Amino acid sequence: MKMKFSKGEKNGAMKYIAYGSGKKKHEITFHQEKGIKIDKHQADIEIVKDGGLFFLKWNNKRYTAEIVDKNQNKYTLLVNGVSYDYSIETPTSYKRKKYLEKNEPKTKIQEVSAPMPGKIIEVLAEENESIKEGDPLFILEAMKMQNEIISHINGKVTKINVKPNESVEKGAILVEIE
Amino acid sequence: MDTNGKYFRKFVERNQKYYVEQNEKAKEKQHAKGKLTARERIELLFDENTFEEIDAFVMPASVDFGKVKQEYGDGVIIGHGKISGRLAYVYSQDFSIMGGSLGSVHAEKIVKVQDLALKTGAPIIGIIDSGGARIQAGIASLAGYAKIFYRNVRSSGVIPQISVIMGPAAGGAVYSPALTDFIFMTNKTSYMFLTGPNVVKEVLNEEVTFDELGGAEAHSKKSGVAQMIYDDEENTLLGVRKLLAYFPSNNLENPPFIESQDPPDRIEERLRDIVPDDPNKPYDVKEIIKLIVDNQRFYETSENYAQSLVVGFARLNGKTIGVIANQPKILAGTLDIDSSMKGARFVRYCDAFNIPLLVLEDVPGFLPGIDQEHNGIIKHGAKLLYAFCEATVPKITVILRKSYGGAYIVMNSKNVGGDFNFAWPTAEIAVMGPEGAVAVLYRKELEEAEDPVKFKKQYAAKYRDEIANPYIADEKGFIDEVIDPAVTRKKLITAFEALENKHLQIPERKHGNIPL
Amino acid sequence: MKIKSLLIANRGEIAVRIINTAKKLAIKTYVIKTAKEPKAMYLEMADEIIDFSESIEDIPEFLDIERIINAAKEKNIDAIHPGYGFLAESPYFAQRCQEVNIIYIGPSADAIYKMGNKTIAKQIAIKHKIPLIQGSDGNVSSFKRAMVIARNIGYPVILKAASGGGGRGMRIVEKPKEMEKNYKLATTEAQKAFNDASVFIEKYIKNPRHIEFQIIADKHGNIVHLGERECSIQRKHQKLIEESPSPALDNKLRKEMGEDAIRIAKAVKYYSAGTVEFLLDSDNKYYFMEMNTRIQVEHPVTEAVTGVDLIELMIKVAEEEKLPFTQKDVKLKGWAIEYRINAEDVQSGFTPNQGILERFCYPNGKTTRIDTGVSDGAAITPYFDSMIAKLIVTGQTREKAITNSLTALNKIRIQGLKTTIPFHKAVLNTKSFREGDLSTSFIDTEMTKLFHQEPGEEEMAAFIAAFDYLLEVQSDEEAVVDYEKGKNLTPWLLNKRLKSL
Repeated sequence: MKMKFSKGEKNGAMKYIAYGSGKKKHEITFHQEKGIKIDKHQADIEIVKDGGLFFLKWNNKRYTAEIVDKNQNKYTLLVNGVSYDYSIETPTSYKRKKYLEKNEPKTKIQEVSAPMPGKIIEVLAEENESIKEGDPLFILEAMKMQNEIISHINGKVTKINVKPNESVEKGAILVEIE
Repeated sequence: MDTNGKYFRKFVERNQKYYVEQNEKAKEKQHAKGKLTARERIELLFDENTFEEIDAFVMPASVDFGKVKQEYGDGVIIGHGKISGRLAYVYSQDFSIMGGSLGSVHAEKIVKVQDLALKTGAPIIGIIDSGGARIQAGIASLAGYAKIFYRNVRSSGVIPQISVIMGPAAGGAVYSPALTDFIFMTNKTSYMFLTGPNVVKEVLNEEVTFDELGGAEAHSKKSGVAQMIYDDEENTLLGVRKLLAYFPSNNLENPPFIESQDPPDRIEERLRDIVPDDPNKPYDVKEIIKLIVDNQRFYETSENYAQSLVVGFARLNGKTIGVIANQPKILAGTLDIDSSMKGARFVRYCDAFNIPLLVLEDVPGFLPGIDQEHNGIIKHGAKLLYAFCEATVPKITVILRKSYGGAYIVMNSKNVGGDFNFAWPTAEIAVMGPEGAVAVLYRKELEEAEDPVKFKKQYAAKYRDEIANPYIADEKGFIDEVIDPAVTRKKLITAFEALENKHLQIPERKHGNIPL
Repeated sequence: MKIKSLLIANRGEIAVRIINTAKKLAIKTYVIKTAKEPKAMYLEMADEIIDFSESIEDIPEFLDIERIINAAKEKNIDAIHPGYGFLAESPYFAQRCQEVNIIYIGPSADAIYKMGNKTIAKQIAIKHKIPLIQGSDGNVSSFKRAMVIARNIGYPVILKAASGGGGRGMRIVEKPKEMEKNYKLATTEAQKAFNDASVFIEKYIKNPRHIEFQIIADKHGNIVHLGERECSIQRKHQKLIEESPSPALDNKLRKEMGEDAIRIAKAVKYYSAGTVEFLLDSDNKYYFMEMNTRIQVEHPVTEAVTGVDLIELMIKVAEEEKLPFTQKDVKLKGWAIEYRINAEDVQSGFTPNQGILERFCYPNGKTTRIDTGVSDGAAITPYFDSMIAKLIVTGQTREKAITNSLTALNKIRIQGLKTTIPFHKAVLNTKSFREGDLSTSFIDTEMTKLFHQEPGEEEMAAFIAAFDYLLEVQSDEEAVVDYEKGKNLTPWLLNKRLKSL
């Protein structure tokens, strides 16, 4: 596989930082001659691409990978059936991300979204109510089961976006908690 | 000339002051905030070593009120270079110099580059990172803005104009981007608003942060003002480069061409499976778009706004097309106020710059409701209709599934100027949806029926089968051909090729009166 | 009488399973096609398709008793197999078959009715001295009534739907003040799922093991049990992993429980296949829970350790034949474990992952069996369950079965959907599972992480993402944008354009 870089190339190498959920990060460097480095160690990877699946062999272990979703530089991948989220940053954009994280305003509005499409059977919380972690907020009926949607933080309910008997899509924001 | 002599040395020293010292200071200030400098942005935007700066060493004008720092450039870098090998002009504001504020010399520089772009028929990109009008400069600063806005309008529809907001853009300063063709914003470090949070607090006693009021997310999701947003500056500028590759340099040229290895006669059987047989089941129209266009590459704009209509650019056999498609998985694909406006604006850019249009239709109608009616769905829906009627670029429609009533007419039907109109076997073309039609046509029978629900279902199925199918429209000439979804790509490429030299005479008038 | 034609009133993997055995016995198979999955695998394997795609009624195709019976009558079909779920425990359906002289591959309508109603089943168990959990005598009509009973038998208690199972209409109540809310939730869910809001109440046993016995009986009064299955690995009362035999049973306990299972089957004059479910507590005391009067999802593990074909036996029993073996002929050899591979996102709390199963490859060897109803390109829809396949792995010992399982799970390749495979791997890597230390609260108490990550997965994910991004950036860079083509306009176009601007 021939690698030719132009923009952003330094000393014949292209360095990316894969930044994932939980502040995980891995440095992947692609070098014209020296090949691939993962987290500063030389990596010998065999890749076979078959349709949408990647079959990888690294350090004598085999992996099956698939790109499930991609938006600009943000990826969701499945490796051996487990999903991973990474955004691919250059060293500059990574520094920027870290800077922004540090300066994020402390009171963030948390949103609770519907984990799957279904119908809101009951709304158990009220606006301006103080709630605790574990308190049930809604009953969502989906896939023939009634599911309790619970809060994972303590806070105050600032906005309830749904009513009983309303159908919601997966990911719909049900409530905002401060 | 003696390169060690006093003439050359002075030249070198002056360059050193500007290009090295001022530059380093700028880097310090901007990097500390997670931003890039004006110069770095230009370097990322243009092809390597193609940028030529103009008016680098101008000094700010003297002012009657307050002081101004004597620094080269007056807070903006202008010039030209090549983007993907094509000439383009740029102005990039420098926040590290007096907050990038606009003084009269700053404004003159921008005006200079706007004039050059218009004179030479080349695209112009404005990178905005400015505190706004320079108070010390007084009315001269406002006059400067006015000159810029005037030229934005003179160039509108003549050369592509792109604004990239990478910092503050407040007060009057937001008008320039608002007048341009595309607005890009970088998440968290840029914002646009007419009145800032401080004034909002004073006048309305509402507390809101810069980002909440006018940040990239707010403008991408809620107001629709920003069409493209990215998490960092590098990706934002890469995005600008990508967008420009779809546009011609000016309104006389046809859009550029990128040779594709994707065979033009590729048959795609997956296309037959995407639209479900059940007319009430949603699907993602972007999957269809990706399977039709070259290399599955679709450059979507305004992705987070008015999501029931998808718009963006792509290529068919190397040639740029503008795609407009209803999105059945959001709001069942209905057209509402926001999506009508989004679609209308998109159609008009494409028409201005000779980009052919592809419409993929699956729309049950306009969104009903008091909210829509009282907010003027009538005039906003009319905008989309006007845009399609007005456009003289090649226009092709493929009806994928539903196409009812007014929405059928609006989405580039044959009689509003669709050049070729195709339909898939799953198409349903009718004045009204089957359930609605049955309720009207068989009102009496429904009232007398034993089991009205069953009756409705039976007759709706009959209606669907006998009246709403695409073959009737085909036989009457409203559809040119019912096609096998698998050959859509091939059909479209051949159809667009046949329309390459399309030209329609426009009536002589100053300009039409689109319902605004 | 010999069955020559069979209608399978079901879909997915069980329909495929039944078709496979029917083919072996040279029986002509009929299946039902729905508009919801017109290209399903079971349709391609059957001899003839009965098309229910035109669905005007609101009744789901596989629950439409009259339509199914009429179709069978029209085509002169000898017998109907209901599979599991849908109409498999509908006494009315079994009765209708009998009324129109269609052989129902299952027990009598009477047995289905009696064992299907939890309260009646309980009364029969009491009468035949089968050990039971304390609880209400029949249904509880209000939460206040429930509180009275609960106070008597002691918390924690569990509310259960009288007319169904599978976790629906079930709620555990730990304290009196939670009774009202949970009573409401349980009755609403029961009404929705089984059209009957009745619930009854029982003492709730903490950390029990779920042990069930497979019964097979003929119409001549011979009833045999084929050993037990342990199905303790459950999440919200849905089974995920089942095995046979159970690491908790020795021969003595097996004999005792087996005899009780047979006794209760005898009490309702049972014939065909059925399963008697027990809870086993930490003192090795067992309690009868319920009897499932149908073939169950996890039947393959029993088949693996006993060597029988349960579907074949069901058909033979329906043909009035005698069982070809007695209890002393039944021997459990080796160990078998079944893993339910569902299209669920374990990392997001097992939410259903609907979409297209783009690719599905699996190993097929001496120690692995895959029962599936889908192949490449199949759609997993919200209309039916999210099962992709059942993986059944055997071994001479439990340890060998576990080792073989990890190898088999790693060989399965699925593209397009997230599955429960990482969950199964996590279970197999949990010490208490390997030691056979199971209970129905296993997932909550023994597992720190619900999905297994092989070392290096993170790095590979990061690498592929970076690699793809690099390729995209490169291809954009290298794309030669040709402006000349756009500038060379034909005279026709150029002229016209200049004139009009």
